[in-house]
Amino acid sequence: MTKPDFIYAPSLKKEFRCKVPLPDTRQLFVVNGTVQGGGAPLDIRIGEGERMERMLQIIDVRDSGRSNELSYCENFNFGKGALGRIVKCSHTFSLDSFRTKEKVTISLGEDSDVEFIVMQNEHNGAEHDTSYEIKLESGARLNMVFLSLHGGVVRNNVKVSLCGPHADCNLSGLYLTDGEQLMDYSVDLVHEVPECRSAQMFKGVLDDRGVAHFNGLIKVVPDAQKTEAFQANHNLLLSDSSRAYSKPQLEIYADDVKCSHGATVGRLNEDELFYMRTRGIPVREARLLQQMAFANEVLEKISSRELRERMASLTEKRLRGEFAHCRNCSRNCC
Amino acid sequence: MDAMLKITDLHASVGEKEILKGINLEIRPGEVHAIMGPNGSGKSTLSAVLAGKETFTVTSGEILFEGRDLLAMSPEERSWAGVFLGFQYPVEIPGVSNVNFIKAAVAEHRAQRGLPALSAAEFLKQMREKMAYVEMDSSFSSRGVNVGFSGGEKKRNEIFQMAMLDPKLAILDETDSGLDVDALRIVATGVNRMKRPDNAAIVITHYQRLLDYIIPDVIHVLYKGRIIMTAGKELALEIEKKGYDWIINDKA
Ligand SMILES: Nc1ncnc2c1ncn2[C@@H]1O[C@H](COP(=O)(O)OP(=O)(O)OP(=O)(O)O)[C@@H](O)[C@H]1O
Ligand SMILES: [Mg+2]
Repeated sequence: MTKPDFIYAPSLKKEFRCKVPLPDTRQLFVVNGTVQGGGAPLDIRIGEGERMERMLQIIDVRDSGRSNELSYCENFNFGKGALGRIVKCSHTFSLDSFRTKEKVTISLGEDSDVEFIVMQNEHNGAEHDTSYEIKLESGARLNMVFLSLHGGVVRNNVKVSLCGPHADCNLSGLYLTDGEQLMDYSVDLVHEVPECRSAQMFKGVLDDRGVAHFNGLIKVVPDAQKTEAFQANHNLLLSDSSRAYSKPQLEIYADDVKCSHGATVGRLNEDELFYMRTRGIPVREARLLQQMAFANEVLEKISSRELRERMASLTEKRLRGEFAHCRNCSRNCC
Repeated sequence: MDAMLKITDLHASVGEKEILKGINLEIRPGEVHAIMGPNGSGKSTLSAVLAGKETFTVTSGEILFEGRDLLAMSPEERSWAGVFLGFQYPVEIPGVSNVNFIKAAVAEHRAQRGLPALSAAEFLKQMREKMAYVEMDSSFSSRGVNVGFSGGEKKRNEIFQMAMLDPKLAILDETDSGLDVDALRIVATGVNRMKRPDNAAIVITHYQRLLDYIIPDVIHVLYKGRIIMTAGKELALEIEKKGYDWIINDKA
């Protein structure tokens, strides 16, 4: 199994400038933990009570000249009471066709508090399939935000298990498609024990012949009383040939629970559009304001202001149809 | 003086249904025209057609604004040219803040006039000044456009936007409806402060009381898609007392 390149950008939290250049050879930088090199999976452990003061950025890069099929694993382990901040970016640097299969496990110990941002920005030739296995022990809090900005085929399979009481899991996602792109999200979230909370908010903006799937299962086992579980999936179609398929599912075997889900597929509101135009905002800008308003509900889940603004600007560029890369990051990739 | 707005034999429909059935109207700079008329007579339709709403199809007639063919222009071009519509039902735009909205609009107006963008400080200064016109609290800036605003707050926001954009022709569609006495005075004062010899207004209303504050040069009565009477400002009082029947019956 080959692995992609990883960079740790220590100054990310401050200015988002990578001071560490992309290494020629694979190099791993670690914060408060250990990394096993060689052919083993990337293994990041944040020990008991350790607090990551700065955000750890991991950039998975696929360049030309590598094997076009690639599989790798990344494991994140947060000890009891640990504080974790991770940003994981995936990019392709060439128009070649790539297939990437990725397995990510995230395990949150008791009372740990983790924010995990996934940003995917790849070329149309890229097919990227990731399965996430996420486990939360009692009192653990996870805030996970997926931003699928670009990519030929993007599949995210997210399995979450809430296995200790008072675990709290927020999952949000924004996916943008145009051309022939396909984005496929599948969330399978299980409340294994009582008194946990989960909230999901997934939104898509689909243009051209873009297609998106959202399959979201919330399962509440018989003993998991006092569960609170919410799920929302909203899609905005910008063209006649774009398609959104949404399949929310609730399987609830406990009786004392609060659960809800909702899914919508809609278009830009014409009355809003007209109102903005009468104020002199050109139709293109007005549409963009509406799309950003729609996307913001997901973007605002990112708690760091700098990162949120960075991601919002990438999203806006993407929606304008401009090449979306951030300045100031290494190799202009993110 | 040449007319600022000249509407000639304007017909407009929704689908098969004709709503405006031959409107003629001329407004010169400095004038204020009131339009009254029973519910459903076509007042909002006329203002929407002037602002460029595509729901309505203009089947015949002409609208000239400062000599330019208004019907050939997009809604944003009309705004740049100086036409402003204060909506009867202002639209809520969740997720777009009031300040970003008006900032985008002002920036576009300036760019269209070849003016440099305002500095952040200058923009905020103007914004504060114009919000004060309508006694709007600064906490409204960060809220979504009209989202959760009360009826009266929405109308004040319309006048605030008008003040920021400084139009040549303001069309105020029932800006007075839903306002309490104080709000009515505030909105009317806001409108009056902007009155100049080189701009004009169309004020659509059901009530004489607004016209106590904003004094019109003429009042038109619109009925079933036609202007059936044009008179001086005294007409409002008469309508208040006697309703529209006498005018309608007189025409029939
Ligand atoms: N989109 C539409 N589809 C069908 N009919 C419409 C549409 N818009 C307006 N109408 C009809 O056109 C007529 C005129 O409506 P309009 O809103 O212009 O009246 P108004 O004079 O502004 O009334 P009000 O005093 O109640 O505000 C009404 O009969 C209304 O039902
Ligand atoms: Mg009306």
